[in-house]
Amino acid sequence: MAVIVQREEDASHCLGITGELNIYSAATVLQELLQALEAHRQLEIGLAGVDDFDTAGVQLLLMLKREAARQDKPLTFVQHSAAVREVLDLLNLVAELGDPMVIPLEDGECLS
Amino acid sequence: MLIVNLDSARGALVQEGRELLAAMEEALLAIETEGYTEERVNAIFRAAHTIKGSAGLFGLESLVNFTHVAESLLDRVRTGELFVEGAMLSLLLTCGDYIGSLLSAVEIGTEAQEPDEALRAWLLTQLQEYLDGTASDTAQEVAPFDEPYARVDVLQGEPVSSDLWHLSWRLSPEVLRNGMDPLSFLRYLGKLGRIVYLHTITDRLPALGDFEAEACYLGFELEFESNASRQEIESVFEFVLEDCLLRILPPHSQIEEYLRLIRELPESPQRLGEILLQSGALTPNELDQVLTRQHAEPQPAPPLGTLLLESQLVPQPVVAAALSKQKQVEDKRNHEQVFIKVEVGKLDQLINLVGELVIAGAATNLHALRRDMDMVEEAAQAMSVLVESIRDASLSLRMVAIGEVFQRFPRVVRDISKELGKDIQLLVTGADTELDKSMVERLADPLMHIVRNAMDHGIETAEERLASGKVASGSLRLNAYHESGSIVIEVSDDGRGLDRQRILDKALQRGLVQPDQSLSDAEVYRLIFEPGFSTAEQVTNLSGRGVGMDVVRRNIELLRGEVEVLSEFGRGATVRIRLPLTLAIIDGFQVMVGDEHFVLPLEQVIECVDLPPQEGRHHLINLRGEPLPFLRLRELFNIGGRASGRESLVVLQHGNSRAGVVVDQLVGEFQAVIKPLGMLFQKSRGLSGSTILGDGRVALILDVANLLQRASALSVGTPVRVSAGGA
Amino acid sequence: MSSLAIHHQGRALAIAEAPLTQQFLTLTLGQELYALPIEHIREIIEFGGLTEIPMMPEFLRGVINLRGAVVPVVDLSVRFGRQRTAIGRRTCIVIVEVEQEGAAQMLGIIVDAVNEVLAVDANQVETRPAFGARIRADFIAGILNQNEQFVIVLDIRQVLSVEEICELVGMASLEK
Repeated sequence: MAVIVQREEDASHCLGITGELNIYSAATVLQELLQALEAHRQLEIGLAGVDDFDTAGVQLLLMLKREAARQDKPLTFVQHSAAVREVLDLLNLVAELGDPMVIPLEDGECLS
Repeated sequence: MLIVNLDSARGALVQEGRELLAAMEEALLAIETEGYTEERVNAIFRAAHTIKGSAGLFGLESLVNFTHVAESLLDRVRTGELFVEGAMLSLLLTCGDYIGSLLSAVEIGTEAQEPDEALRAWLLTQLQEYLDGTASDTAQEVAPFDEPYARVDVLQGEPVSSDLWHLSWRLSPEVLRNGMDPLSFLRYLGKLGRIVYLHTITDRLPALGDFEAEACYLGFELEFESNASRQEIESVFEFVLEDCLLRILPPHSQIEEYLRLIRELPESPQRLGEILLQSGALTPNELDQVLTRQHAEPQPAPPLGTLLLESQLVPQPVVAAALSKQKQVEDKRNHEQVFIKVEVGKLDQLINLVGELVIAGAATNLHALRRDMDMVEEAAQAMSVLVESIRDASLSLRMVAIGEVFQRFPRVVRDISKELGKDIQLLVTGADTELDKSMVERLADPLMHIVRNAMDHGIETAEERLASGKVASGSLRLNAYHESGSIVIEVSDDGRGLDRQRILDKALQRGLVQPDQSLSDAEVYRLIFEPGFSTAEQVTNLSGRGVGMDVVRRNIELLRGEVEVLSEFGRGATVRIRLPLTLAIIDGFQVMVGDEHFVLPLEQVIECVDLPPQEGRHHLINLRGEPLPFLRLRELFNIGGRASGRESLVVLQHGNSRAGVVVDQLVGEFQAVIKPLGMLFQKSRGLSGSTILGDGRVALILDVANLLQRASALSVGTPVRVSAGGA
Repeated sequence: MSSLAIHHQGRALAIAEAPLTQQFLTLTLGQELYALPIEHIREIIEFGGLTEIPMMPEFLRGVINLRGAVVPVVDLSVRFGRQRTAIGRRTCIVIVEVEQEGAAQMLGIIVDAVNEVLAVDANQVETRPAFGARIRADFIAGILNQNEQFVIVLDIRQVLSVEEICELVGMASLEK
């Protein structure tokens, strides 16, 4: 179950996702985000609230990036949660997605 | 040191030495084209070592000293201190040649004289440079290391810098829906070792319209550092194995380990799969996969080794090691007595005796028939059958596989392609096709010339080939097979083919043809066999001097064979040599014209047909709707008199052509011992030999190819067609 | 076929006696006497069992079966440009051996009759006369004078030149 919160900030339309971003929610979230992309010129998506992230979630991020590029609209993922960070590190996809990923100092997680 | 009398053993020493050198050359070439294997290096070392030993027994100083240096170098290669590659390979090949010339000197008794001082000195210097470690050759691909890891780098042929497992993982789209996630497996794997590097493959992500959020489109390539065994690594993925494609490539040190284990396996016959399982190079699951695949392939299924290599489940050096282990054991078991050496003179004597036996048997038969004594007839018949069996068995003793001739060509092709600066691959098929031993040596020269011709003039340079849309590397194929009583040998290339117009122009220039003559393609191509004919613009070192193809054709005709060229302009050409298979004794079909007896090779007799009496000079007959040219032997041979009664038409076939000959009487089948007519009749056409009949008379054996030619020449321009009844 | 084998030691004998005497077999061919050095001669047999070979030059009369070997037979008379030898009571075949390119070839020669073996001093063989002999000059090795009769010593290498015969055979078989 994922919740999407939206607001405007500067030129970007900002959204935040809270909850699961996995096989159960992927399809629905994708639709919503695509609609948002359609409706705005620029998107910023915060992932701080994502507490469950799996392969389906990874694919979703990748597809969004591609579609945004296709529509020639900037789309950035920000505030990656620990769950998201761990997976993106493991799969070595940080560079591919292209967004700066901040590693908080207080984070006790050991990165491989 | 015991010095044995050289003279009596000279022949044996040289023979053995040559065989070892052949094995050495084969192994060196195999290393060059297929890669290093321990077995190959051992073969090379063994060759040098054995030759040195034998030479030492006979006090052949020069040979001993030279071979000793080569042996020292090979010893270092064998222990891994040095690597055999590029320049060293060429050097070793040349050293092999030089040892060959030293052996030849021993053979003719001139071992006191050095065949080539300068060459020997140069070779020794080169060898010494490798031994001293001062060899500087630009062809060196890998620098020598001391650790086994680096040696295995050469094995792989790829530059790899560290000792890691490599996993290649592709998932089926259903994986996620089936309740599994690759992430959990990767995390679990991480517990067995360290994932040094992981690359996520995203290019299977489809267009948005086709994207299903619950399907899996990702693949992974990983470098993994671990001490776990292959089985343990595989079992990480146990639950998902059904839904994915997993390739595990062992680290290089592990390959070493597999190789060692394979070597140490007990010497009992085993299947390849078992050998690999035992050494840990393959898991039972993987073996199952491949075996299932093998069974699913259409017959004949590819061998297991091939499938393993294709699927990249097992690295090539390991498959090679396992295969050679398997072969080693097999060889040992078979080696006891497969071949023995026989003196050629004794063999020939045996065959002569069999020949005489055949004639005596025929005579006995004849007498038995004439005197009408049933019991004698029966006994004579039984003897005939036995004689026929002995005949077949003794003739087959003289048959050797043509591979004996073909085996020198990989080296030749390699050397010449380097010389020409062309990349030419050689494919050899049909090497086990057999032919008479006497022909084998006399084929070598003509074949050599044809191959050189094809490489020099037939196959284009890499640039030309690429420009015309061909692959840069040219291919040459040697092929041999049996066909209706003959052995056919083909040399094919995929080069430029024959230029019909140029050949025709040259022939016109030389006056070989008249401007108004219309010639078929085959006839034009045949012109290249005329003496002095060469359309090569540059006379190169190898061929193109115009002394080539006519000599080739003559040599082949001396073997009672024929040669033709097939070509497709721009695509390539094939030179096809056809030689008679049987030599001393053939199954013959006897016919009579007037009082004269003639023999036709039974293999080329298709059928016999009654010929109704006709008027006039016809040379074409309608046989069941097909036109068949024919000729009358009486006419051809100028035999007087006329046929009394019905004549017979014997239908003959050679290659693709058919024709008939008209005779007075059909006598029947019989075994003919071929007595060559001798040098005087070399140039006669129409006769291929003679034989002695049961009553002592000489009967001539007719050359079917020639008869067919004459018959079709006669039939051109025959207006009236005559039908023949069946028989 | 009865055979009259000449017991000689061929070359060995000839060499031992070379400086002083040479032995020749004399034979009759169409009324004329000819001589052959015996070192080439292997045996003499009755005429018989000749198998003709078609498409051959006229002087090549055929082949015979000599104890399992097929030996070609030449009619010298035809070779010398005359008529075919008529087969008579005394007609024989002289089996000779000639060497060509290192290989030995056996040949038979049809002759009207075989006469005696002569032993003559080497210097008694005169060189070819300049006057018109009725056979090819290169066939003649020399002349012997025997009891007032001239005996032509044949040069067997030329008369039975394998090379030349081969060519003629080749040409004849192409004619048809």
